[in-house]
Amino acid sequence: MYQYNQVDQQIVNERVEQFRDQTRRYLAGELSADEFLALRLMNGLYIQRQAPMLRVAIPYGLMSAEQMRMLANIARKYDKGYGHFTTRTNIQFNWPKLEEVPDILAELATVQMHAIQTSGNCIRNTTTDHFAGVAESELEDPRPWCEIIRQWSTLHPEFAYLPRKFKIAVTGSKEDRAASQVHDIGLHLVQNAEGEIGFEVLVGGGLGRTPVIGKVIREFLPKEDLLSYLDAILRVYNLKGRRDNKYKARIKILVEALGADTFRDLVEAEWVYTRDTELKLTAEEIARVKGFFTPHAYDPSAKDDASLDQQLKDDADFRVWFERNTRAHKVGGYRCVVVSLKPLLGPPGDITDLQMDVVADLADRYSFSEIRSTHDQNLVLAEVRQADLYAVWQVLSEHNLARANINTLTDMIVCPGFDFCALANAKTLNISDAINAEFENLDYLYDLGDIQLNMSGCINACGHHHVGHIGILGVDKKGEDWYQITLGGSGREDASLGKVLGKSVAADEVPSVLRKILETYIEQRTDEERFLDTVRRVGLTPFKEKVYATDH
Amino acid sequence: MPLIINREKVQDSWALVSPEEGADFVERASGHELLLVPFDCLEVADALGSKQLGVQVTGEVEVEQLVPWLSKLSLIAIEFPVFRDGRGFSLARQLRRVGYTGELRAVGDVGRDRLGYLERCGFNAFLIAEEAYSDELLQAFSEISVHYQGSADDPRPIYHQ
Ligand code: HEM
Ligand code: SF4
Repeated sequence: MYQYNQVDQQIVNERVEQFRDQTRRYLAGELSADEFLALRLMNGLYIQRQAPMLRVAIPYGLMSAEQMRMLANIARKYDKGYGHFTTRTNIQFNWPKLEEVPDILAELATVQMHAIQTSGNCIRNTTTDHFAGVAESELEDPRPWCEIIRQWSTLHPEFAYLPRKFKIAVTGSKEDRAASQVHDIGLHLVQNAEGEIGFEVLVGGGLGRTPVIGKVIREFLPKEDLLSYLDAILRVYNLKGRRDNKYKARIKILVEALGADTFRDLVEAEWVYTRDTELKLTAEEIARVKGFFTPHAYDPSAKDDASLDQQLKDDADFRVWFERNTRAHKVGGYRCVVVSLKPLLGPPGDITDLQMDVVADLADRYSFSEIRSTHDQNLVLAEVRQADLYAVWQVLSEHNLARANINTLTDMIVCPGFDFCALANAKTLNISDAINAEFENLDYLYDLGDIQLNMSGCINACGHHHVGHIGILGVDKKGEDWYQITLGGSGREDASLGKVLGKSVAADEVPSVLRKILETYIEQRTDEERFLDTVRRVGLTPFKEKVYATDH
Repeated sequence: MPLIINREKVQDSWALVSPEEGADFVERASGHELLLVPFDCLEVADALGSKQLGVQVTGEVEVEQLVPWLSKLSLIAIEFPVFRDGRGFSLARQLRRVGYTGELRAVGDVGRDRLGYLERCGFNAFLIAEEAYSDELLQAFSEISVHYQGSADDPRPIYHQ
């Protein structure tokens, strides 16, 4: 993975001291609350219902075992012993003290970590596929490009006061595990007719109160022009994006208002000035960054292992976990292990300090000391020899990290909701608990197959409810929590926005309503048909009839 | 108000003359050696024969509108109505790109924590509210001393340096 050089380190160190001084000036009354708000947000610090919340960046979801141990240390020392992984592959701490945040940042800096631009109206952490570099069908590893974007966007002088937040996702295979089509910019590595690799560029995707799927504005962008093109898009947005209404300030609104073609024309006109400037990437720079992401020294004898087959035969629990929570690796004899942060009871995405240490140790021992965080709030040990899987599984099980539910109904994406978030309309964590209790039976979940359930506690859509196969949105009705349900969304390569099933349901009805939805699916599905495909084929009517039947 | 030019505190010799209701603009704007006016008054002001001419704009004005004037302008002041309005950063960048080399001044809600970024985008002058100014402010430019991106005075990003 990428290692800081002296310049990277100096930037992060100086940023810590700058923030320390900003915090000091704020506490001394020299900096207005409004101005400090913008500055602290650009450093990942929110003030929430309970306490400040600090969001630490995990660039493109890749971290070392050493960094994970530091996160455990922060959770122990400054927080209540846990952290929360988000859909944008960062980690949030819910209970730090404002005065201590500069010290937390200083500790993070010792392991090449920071909280720069994890919030605020600036370019956020660039995300990617959590199987980048190891997926079988990949065209090219997207992570070097994420790192190039990370450097370009970090403390960018021109793009720190954008109309609104700005999120970029990059993918390197046809499968989209990064929800790239609902990002402000989605970049897909593609090959043109000449066999060259470049980027397909999408703009204007986003969720929140106006969900939109991004539109392709360029089918093929030569690699070396990546930064100049991003620069042109950002400049057009910075100059023309709306600033009068924060709900209309995202780039998606600008692209919709102008039309994708006009927007493209503006970008291309701006690009004329920047294309052949110093922003053009050099072959040396591309090679330098790629050099940090070369394949590991895989064990050529890994595929000769015979123990796995035997273990799969002997231990049914292990087999179930293997089938559900591991994925193919492009190198024979290796597997990708998904560490489930979706236990039976407990907030999705939460992890304790002890669990962080355990995962770090496993990474050191079995997976080249690297860990990935995923868009769906799990972790990945991406390169485990098949002979080691049994040992990994045993340790994960012991620490409640091996619930065999990946991509099933209970592998939910859930935002923190009312329990933590000051913007929430409704609670979410009680609902995820209720869903877990209702659908405890794993065999039933396996029969249902792949289902993505996403839940947000308000219209801001941090839990990506619009792109869940099943989406749940908390709404406030006269002080009570109600939940609106959508069906048919997808954040993957076949991206679509869910449609509202009908009137919202009370908190205690959510599990039984889900049960009816799933029963309808089982009645309607053809062999092997996924939940999403059934919904797309039959439409909402059968589901509506079942769910709202008693009302008539 | 305190003015910083090229990281030094200096005396401001420009005064903005804006149209006022009930007063004759031409009369008020006449006889200035250094005349600074809002963009809409540029044409009128140009005819008044001041020694030097400056213009004050907001993010609403596009670079193309300023291009025909550049050779006549000694000062372009870009206004930040609120610090969150980041359009001025891009406008400054564009003005330097089309070859404007005169004074580029940030006015309005200009605070310490944006000075470094503003300078890197091409501003060389900063008008600071009296109560917000202290000499210590001049340190703000170099709080972050290394950068990934190019800047107005050196367009090379890190990988070309
Ligand atoms: C608890 C404090 C949080 C606050 C105050 C907060 C605030 C917001 C707001 C206001 C938006 C809407 C932005 C817009 O529409 O322009 C938003 C969107 C979003 N947030 Fe959060 N959020 C929080 C936590 C989280 C968490 C825990 C996650 C991940 C699970 C997350 C991930 C996202 C994502 C993915 C979006 C959607 C971006 C889009 O519209 O394209 N946020 N957040
Ligand atoms: S969706 Fe709403 S409730 Fe959930 S974290 Fe985002 S802002 Fe808070």
